[in-house]
Amino acid sequence: MNRVLTPHEIDAFGRELDALRQEVLDQRGQRDVDHIRSVVRTMRYAEAAGRLLLHVGIDPATFALGSGALGLAKILENMEIGHNVMHGQYDWTHDPELDGETYDWDMACAAHQWREYHNFEHHTFTNILGRDRDVGYGFLRVTSEQPWNPAHIIQPFVAVGLAFLFQWGIGAHALRLDETIAGRQSVAVLWTRARPFLAKGSRQLFKDYVFFPALALANAPRVALGNFIANGTRNVWAFAIIFCGHFPEGVRMYHEQEIQDEPRGAWYLRQIHGSANIKGGRLFHVLSGHLSHQIEHHLFPDLPACRYPEIAPRVRAICERYGQSYNTGSFRAQLTSVARQILENALPSRARPARMQ
Amino acid sequence: MNTLATSAPRVARTASFALRAAQRVSRALLLDRSFRFWVDELAPVASRAELRACVLSVADVTHDVKTFVLAPRVWPGHLPGQWVPVEIEVDGIRLRRCYSISSPPNDPHVELTVKRVPGGRVSNWMHTHLHAGDFVRLGAPSGDFVLPEATPAKLLLLSGGSGATPLIAILRDLAHRRALKDVTYLHAARSRRDVLFARELARLSSLHPGLRVVLHLDDESPRLDSTQLWVLVPDLAHRETFLCGPTGMMDAVAPAFLGFEGRLHHERFVVAKPAAAAPGAGALIHLGRSKRSITTTGRGTLLDELEQAGERLEYGCRMGICNTCRCAKRSGVVENVLTGAISNEPDDVIRLCVSVARSDLTLAL
Ligand SMILES: Cc1cc2nc3c(=O)[nH]c(=O)nc-3n(C[C@H](O)[C@H](O)[C@H](O)COP(=O)(O)OP(=O)(O)OC[C@H]3O[C@@H](n4cnc5c(N)ncnc54)[C@H](O)[C@@H]3O)c2cc1C
Ligand code: FES
Repeated sequence: MNRVLTPHEIDAFGRELDALRQEVLDQRGQRDVDHIRSVVRTMRYAEAAGRLLLHVGIDPATFALGSGALGLAKILENMEIGHNVMHGQYDWTHDPELDGETYDWDMACAAHQWREYHNFEHHTFTNILGRDRDVGYGFLRVTSEQPWNPAHIIQPFVAVGLAFLFQWGIGAHALRLDETIAGRQSVAVLWTRARPFLAKGSRQLFKDYVFFPALALANAPRVALGNFIANGTRNVWAFAIIFCGHFPEGVRMYHEQEIQDEPRGAWYLRQIHGSANIKGGRLFHVLSGHLSHQIEHHLFPDLPACRYPEIAPRVRAICERYGQSYNTGSFRAQLTSVARQILENALPSRARPARMQ
Repeated sequence: MNTLATSAPRVARTASFALRAAQRVSRALLLDRSFRFWVDELAPVASRAELRACVLSVADVTHDVKTFVLAPRVWPGHLPGQWVPVEIEVDGIRLRRCYSISSPPNDPHVELTVKRVPGGRVSNWMHTHLHAGDFVRLGAPSGDFVLPEATPAKLLLLSGGSGATPLIAILRDLAHRRALKDVTYLHAARSRRDVLFARELARLSSLHPGLRVVLHLDDESPRLDSTQLWVLVPDLAHRETFLCGPTGMMDAVAPAFLGFEGRLHHERFVVAKPAAAAPGAGALIHLGRSKRSITTTGRGTLLDELEQAGERLEYGCRMGICNTCRCAKRSGVVENVLTGAISNEPDDVIRLCVSVARSDLTLAL
């Protein structure tokens, strides 16, 4: 399906994408800042409205609206603001509120741990088995190329559980607990990794389930429940979007020996074949933090995300010219595909060769 | 009465302790960003995260100079002759430039007088977009272009163009302190319509017999140089001189001070950029952290060259003052264009805005 490119073609392919990147860099300006600030403003107003409705209302309608507004705020904050700002997409503005190094997001994962394992590990070693720990997060088998073990039988249930607790999964991912269980990481190192996570997580729990409920006095149970629903909504949404980015069928996995001395063009190819997009409207893209353009995000993680929909048709056209696949589909199609992968890979595969070679 | 007097500081202490505790809690619970957002939304000048000033008025001084009167939320105080960093946003990017404060310390407001530099990003933006009611961000006032503790008996305040700004502050302060004993104020301007603070100078010289104001107009007399300066100020050697003006003018009058350079104090708004093709033109700069390599043209400072190559770097003054652009040099040789000093030790901290490459380099960027 993918044409095998000559080294010369791979270089030309890389140069075309470099030129596209430079074009966006040259245009970066007021428009990008206006976009992110308007998202921040929407998020803050939604947050304030949500808290107000939860704190002062007594009826089910304001409860539903309040939890919904707070959930929306948390989704915008984590996805379009937190994730993208922490990638350094707005560092060039020199605005301290948009500074990737100091941003901390409203969720259980400690920002500096995420910057390390996500920005560096996942974005450098994307989809390399054994190097990119985001492939199934170490306990899900999302491709037949991962070895099977009996624990995978219950993975459909594990995946559903992970969806509801996703923020805790993202936070705990920094611990490398599986490596300690396998004896490759000492308990002391595990503890140093666990401390920031436990500190951040407990502060978040305190905020959502003690601090804000206490402010609501008699309405405390209602506020705690509303916060719980808002967190849960955000968790499930983030899980769905992120799983659609790397785990639908057709997304390729790599082996370490394949990427020895990988030239820039081949690095780009790996980002494209290792990611999948979701089709949707502008609102959907913003709510997904533009991770619905996972391919463009992986090619250019530090370009302002609002530019991804603009360059996507051109990335796709370049791929077509070089005979390379570009994985995209509706939200429903990609979700179904992910579900099928998780179900199929719960069982050992007949020794079939890796799919998309 | 007595109890009230002793309890007031205790109340203040308790209040400040409570405020600090509240700040700690809000940071831990990530509520501080939300708090800053609402301050920005509702009352931006009240910000405690950075010093902001409300623009009270904007006035045309000459055809290409405007005066901005600012009311900062709080003001740490300044000495006449000092400058303040001003930060504004142009096309989404925050830019910082230094401006001399033209108001004296006793003035409740801060006054900046800004000349429109052709093609200049910040000065043009301020001229076209900054209006009364807007706000700007300020840094801390600083600078050592100030009078010594004991006011010298004989003074020459020598300015060219917009270089008048720190000197008018010094002059206004002397007038306010009734210390205008024997001061010559010499201002060089292109033409009569370019003279800054003309009316105020006339008023001050009529009020203070100890002040002599001399105007030198380029279109009426030969350009100001050291010979001209001696003609206009015959007792130059006996005066403590404070000089601020365009580079060309400052270079032209400098020889006049031969033999008593110690009496000359100066302030530069622009630093002469290194001459084209410095020795070792074109070098390979390796950026250790981002793993990028850049070939320089050898024509600009490292800051200019890296920006041209698409890097976005922290900087402030761009003239070796503020230390914002500091960066560890892992290996290679650079020259400081201000001092001519050569740095060839590994891990020297250099200032990119005043350094040029004298060999291939590795920088911790
Ligand atoms: C200590 C200090 C005090 C200062 N005080 C004042 C002041 O009171 N009033 C004031 O108007 N300016 C003052 N300046 C100059 C000011 O900081 C800016 O450099 C100036 O306004 C130009 O900025 P810009 O962004 O418009 O131009 P930029 O975009 O930075 O520069 C555009 C071009 O103009 C050249 N250039 C920069 N500055 C000048 C200049 N002053 N004259 C001629 N060419 C220049 C640059 O080399 C460049 O080629 C001061 C500078 C310093 C360092
Ligand atoms: S930018 Fe101020 S020292 Fe370089």
